[in-house]
Amino acid sequence: MRILIADDSRVMRQIVSRTLRQAGYDGHDLVEVADGKQLYDAAVAQPPDLVLSDWNMPEMNGLEALVAIRAAGIKAPFGFVTTEGSPEMRKKAVDAGAMFLITKPFTAESFRDVLDPILR
Amino acid sequence: MTVQHKPNTEELVSIAEMVWSSYLDPDGVRPLVVDPAPGWGLGPTDVVATVAISGAWDGRVLLSFSPPAARRASAALLAIAEVDDVGEGDVADAVGELANIIGGSVKSLMPQPTVLSLPAVHTGAFPDLGGEVCRVTGTWDGEPVSVAVHEVAVYVGVSRTGETSQ
Repeated sequence: MRILIADDSRVMRQIVSRTLRQAGYDGHDLVEVADGKQLYDAAVAQPPDLVLSDWNMPEMNGLEALVAIRAAGIKAPFGFVTTEGSPEMRKKAVDAGAMFLITKPFTAESFRDVLDPILR
Repeated sequence: MTVQHKPNTEELVSIAEMVWSSYLDPDGVRPLVVDPAPGWGLGPTDVVATVAISGAWDGRVLLSFSPPAARRASAALLAIAEVDDVGEGDVADAVGELANIIGGSVKSLMPQPTVLSLPAVHTGAFPDLGGEVCRVTGTWDGEPVSVAVHEVAVYVGVSRTGETSQ
């Protein structure tokens, strides 16, 4: 599977990649991008099988990227991995077409809880 | 008049311990040792990352590490075996991201809606922001670390036409 990981922090992209491996999801094609615009461009260039995106990013934030990706007709499962975990943010995410929201700090277990139905 | 909840020291300790157990000490062998009573948090050469929360509540969250602790944190986050291999860019990214995570947790305690800024990272003497709400200081492998929350007073004026502005 092609998984797009979007976060403006290289450290966090690396942690997300490592947590995917720790959660048992090996062998996937992990593609890292550094903001919402790059995420949108990468998704349009080659539609992914899964998107894991930060919310708060420069250029285009994760929510804006999600809206643009859905408007482009790309229906890949989209989840936020973010510090923004309030009920209001969760509602905004779901309303825009997100499947789940994982809050930082996260664990391999919290990844498995939401990703097992998609990646197993 | 509504009394607004403000983050307290106990909540800030919980947030810091959650970050340590998730990223900096996942094996539980190098815990953050919290001072029983917080001291002054910032040293003259510390790496200080801040995030701003604005909206229904306005404040700043500060995270500071001594330079060795900042490099150690960066090595832990990036899974770099040798601390000496950590670059300055790694430190800014790692400490900024940790402040972002702590800021997000503090934000979740506050009335909504609020917006969290991107982190800013500064090395060296940092001014006293005033308005401190709570502070946690401690050591990590013997190196000083601090986390603090400051409330920012937002001036609300009334113009001569009666319009309010912030």
